[in-house]
Order: sequence, then structure tokens, then C-alpha cells
Amino acid sequence: MEIQNKRMSDDEFNAIRAQVLTQWPTGKEVDLQESIDFHKKLPKNKIFSLKLKEAKDKRITLVQPRAGVALIKEHIELLTYLQDKGGADLLPTTIDSYTRQNRYEEAENGISESIKSGKSMLNGFPAVNHGVNGCRQIIESLNVPVQMRHGTPDARLLAEIGFAGGFTSYEGGGISYNIPYAKSVLLEKTILDWQYCDRLAGVYEEAGISINREPFGPLTGTLVPPCISHAVAIIESLLAAEQGVKNITVGYGQCGNLVQDVAAIGTLEELTEEYLHKYGYNDVVVTTVLHQWMGGFPQDEAKAFGVISWGSSVAALSKATKVIVKTPHEAMGVPTMEANAQGLRCTKQVISMLGDQTLTAAGLEQEKRIISEETRCIVDKCFELGSGDIALGAVRAFQAGVIDVPFAPSRYNAGKMLPARDNNGAIRILNAGAVPLSKELLDFNKDMIEERAKFEKRKASFQMVIDDVYAISKGRLVGRP
Amino acid sequence: MSKKTLVIGVIGADVHAVGNKILYHAFTEAGFEVVNLGVMVSQEEYIAAAIESNADAIVVSSLYGHGELDCRGMREKCDEAGLKGILLYVGGNIVVGKQPFDEVEARFRTMGFDRVFPPGTAPETTIQALKEDLQMTN
Repeated sequence: MEIQNKRMSDDEFNAIRAQVLTQWPTGKEVDLQESIDFHKKLPKNKIFSLKLKEAKDKRITLVQPRAGVALIKEHIELLTYLQDKGGADLLPTTIDSYTRQNRYEEAENGISESIKSGKSMLNGFPAVNHGVNGCRQIIESLNVPVQMRHGTPDARLLAEIGFAGGFTSYEGGGISYNIPYAKSVLLEKTILDWQYCDRLAGVYEEAGISINREPFGPLTGTLVPPCISHAVAIIESLLAAEQGVKNITVGYGQCGNLVQDVAAIGTLEELTEEYLHKYGYNDVVVTTVLHQWMGGFPQDEAKAFGVISWGSSVAALSKATKVIVKTPHEAMGVPTMEANAQGLRCTKQVISMLGDQTLTAAGLEQEKRIISEETRCIVDKCFELGSGDIALGAVRAFQAGVIDVPFAPSRYNAGKMLPARDNNGAIRILNAGAVPLSKELLDFNKDMIEERAKFEKRKASFQMVIDDVYAISKGRLVGRP
Repeated sequence: MSKKTLVIGVIGADVHAVGNKILYHAFTEAGFEVVNLGVMVSQEEYIAAAIESNADAIVVSSLYGHGELDCRGMREKCDEAGLKGILLYVGGNIVVGKQPFDEVEARFRTMGFDRVFPPGTAPETTIQALKEDLQMTN
């Protein structure tokens, strides 16, 4: 399968489209012109791209939860509660895991089991099964913009139904919804399928409807060095822009070290804009999202609020455009709506206290320089591997281990790179594998981890990495012996 | 004493890979022979791997909440495949939402799982249980 970063032709797009819309009976409900008209009638307060642009200009941070249940009525109740009692600025519709794997029959079974048992048996909203009108009921019931959030390698039908259903933002990308979310799906296939989703967003954009697109920043959410997630975010932004997307939110999962995290959000926005301009995409609005701690949480709710507050501090001090909020039930899986609203209120409190402050810590500029240099090493190598084409370059980069995501389930990820925290809790690279950092950067990473190893009187090893994975749920950031 | 063999993996449409990689490392370190099926494993795949490797136990992980739907009928399928009495464990975030663990445990015990582990279980706990149930002396 040969791919390239080139705008999909109308013929190619329409041929795929005819096939995509037959994947499940609800595909027949999609009527592009009628959907564009539906979007044109949406009031401004329901449009994601407008609200993000406004927040970026004002340098404020919006709050958004994750939420989704199996049935329409209960899902609307849940989102209404998060809007009214949690004060959510932006709302999600989190899609269930069967839909994410295109297993619509199993999702249908989950819907009937949920009706039977009186509780949601699915971990999200099966939007394809509920169809265009099911989605529109959600949009019509709420007063803030709603985004579809998922983790779907082949999200073409979901995009068709979601956009037609009135969602004004769509998470995901060909790399970020493959490598952390699939076991054996070819990267060429997901990049191509996401070029379709981006092209669909481009078609809406050309009709005057700006749909926000958000590459999934945190990847596996487990000790991902900023340069790796930045490289993926930049590549997916370039791929989306080529298909005509004009409103992009790049994301990053909180690592835990304040200086590294603030430096990461700053460089993420700067570098994404830099690469978009460099390759000729000059009219894309770039905003940022900080994901509160994505790793294991403490069981105790009070301790969980501590983790949430710390993530909120990072969001406020880094001036991220929005923050995705965790809940005090995080360690237990899907939260109740009350717990979800508590996470939102906790976050809003911290953000409003810190909103006027700017971090000027010692080391911030150095950290920004390190992240920028590391990211450029990787992205520039990807262009080189693709002989100037970033779609091809990305595929070859994963084959070569040039981009290597720690703890990813995909067999198309090398899994050779080993991260660990340094003595201050910043995430560094213990063993780079084939990630092409300069000798200076490799030495810097090694020295930082060596300092910790010496302090802990042990050798840097995989045990150190395991200790770091468990540390936050045990009340620490660095996993000390 | 020959090594005991475990088949491990994450069931259903679940792609949570972090704990799976850590369990593989911890079980191997503890002296088990580990057949790791990774993520997105069907009941049939666990059973086929257990037959092929003559396994002593199947250890099922589920992190995404659909565990109840995914695990139904697994014991019966093991019986049919000739794995009568094979040690069957399940652990993780195995139901949707925060439910009292004793109720969840009882439900999965009724489904035929020998042990049911709550979220955040340390690998050492499971290793200890395996050693007891497989009557390993050390």
C-alpha cells in the first residue's frame, strides 16, 4: 500500500464514500448537503472551532470532561448534568470500545443488554448504531459545543455520522488512533483512512463549516517523552492541513514535572505552527489541549483530587487552550456523573486561581530548547525517510523505530525506546533505540537518569520504569525503591 | 521442578497494553513460562494457546469495563475444549463504573473464575495466588 501526503481527489473520495456509507444501515441516513445546512443553523455557542479561537485569543483555559453511556436519553442526561453542575465549557461524546473496533453487532448487543439491565453495559456512546438523528438529539439538547472522542483506527463511518449528526469537533488521527489503540492494523491503512476523515472535514470547511480536528496527544499515556508525542502531533497536523482542515488542536498528556509540562505545551504550539508555515499551510488556527495525568490513579478519592489539581495547575500555567479532566473514580474505571462533575469543579477552581499567573521558573527556557531540538531531530528525519513526503516518512519512521511509542500495543511500533524519570520527575530517554537524537541530546538524557540512579543507589533498568508506572497511584511521582 | 506455564492477555476489544507488558515481565521474573497473547484476545485464542502450550493457568486482564460481556461463557468453553478444571483468573477494571468489589467478585466467581482481582492489584499478589493454587513450594 503506497501512500502520500496529497489531497484526496474528489473521485477517489466519492468512491470510498459510497462504500463507507454501506458499512452499517445508519450510513444511509447521511445526506451531505442537508448536514451542511444543519450546521449552518447551529448557534455560535455550539461551535467548537469558534469557542477555541476565542479562548486562544483571550489566553484562557476551557474545561472538558470525558463521558459516554450506551443509551441516548441517559447520555443526554449525563452531558446536561456535566454542563449544568460541572460547569463544562466543552462537552464530549466518548464512543464505546466495540464501535471503536467497528464491531457494530456487538455494540447493538450492548445496547439491548443496557436496556435489559437498566445500566450502561457499554463504556461509551455507540454513535454509529444510534445514527444521525440519535446524534442530533444530543447536539440539540445542550448549550455548549460537543466533540466526538474515541480511539477508532477506521473512523470513516463514525466521522460521516458524527459530522452529519452535528458534532463540531472530532478527535483522532492516523497514527495516534492506531499505535496506542490497535494491535495489528497497518499504519498505511490508518493514515489513508484518516486522510478520508480529514478530507471530509475539508469538504465541510469548503462549505463554510469549520470542524475542529484534534490529534490524540497522550498516545499510550505512559511515560511518553514530549518529543515523541510532539512529533506525532505535528505530522498529523500536516496530514490534516493537506486535506483542507483549518482548525486543529494539538494535545499533550501531563508528565508530572511542572517545568517540563509547561515547556511542552509552549513548544507544542510553537513547533506545530512552525512546521505548518514551513510547508505552506498558512491559514490554520492551532490551539492546544493538556490532558490531566493519563496513567494509573490513586484509589482514594481525596488523593485522586490531588492528582487532578496538579494537572489543572499545569493547564493554567501553560496557558493550554483547554484541559481534559479526570475524575476521582479514575482508578475504578468509568465514573458516575457526580464524580465526573466533581473533577470538573475541582479543575475550574484551580484554573481560576492560577489563570493570571505565568510561570517563569529556572530551567524553563532550557527545557523548551531540549524539547524543540529533540522534536526537530525526529520530524526532520521523518521527512528525510519519506524523501520529502511526510505520510510516507511517518510509515517508514515507525518501521525504523525513529518514532517509538513506549508501551504501545501495536506490532508496527518498535518498542525499543525505554523512557524513565530523572531525579526531578521529568521524563527522559534511558535507551533511545532508533530514535535519532543528536549525541548531545542523548548524553543529556543519559546524564539526567544517571543522576537519579546514583541517588537511588541502583542501576537504571526496566525495574525503574515499572516503579515509575506505579508511582502516582502509590502517592509519588518518581518510583523510588 | 519444571516451570509452570501461564497464558496471559487482555480480553475483547480492549487495547490497554501497559499492565500486560508489566505482568509479562513480572511473571517471567517470578519463574513462570509465559505465553503472552497481548491485547484484543478472544476467548478462543486463550483456549487454543492454553491447549497448545499445555498451560497450567489462564490469566485474563480487562481494563475497559466490558469484562462482564467479554468473559461470559469462558469457563464452559474451556470445559468443552478439554480444559476442565484449568485455573482461570481475571483482574483489572472488569465492570463499567464503580461497583462494590465483593459483588463484582461474586458475579465473576459464579461465571467460573477461580480468582478475581480488583483494580490496581500488584503483580506480587497474583504471583502469590498462583503459587498457592498451583501448589508451588517456593
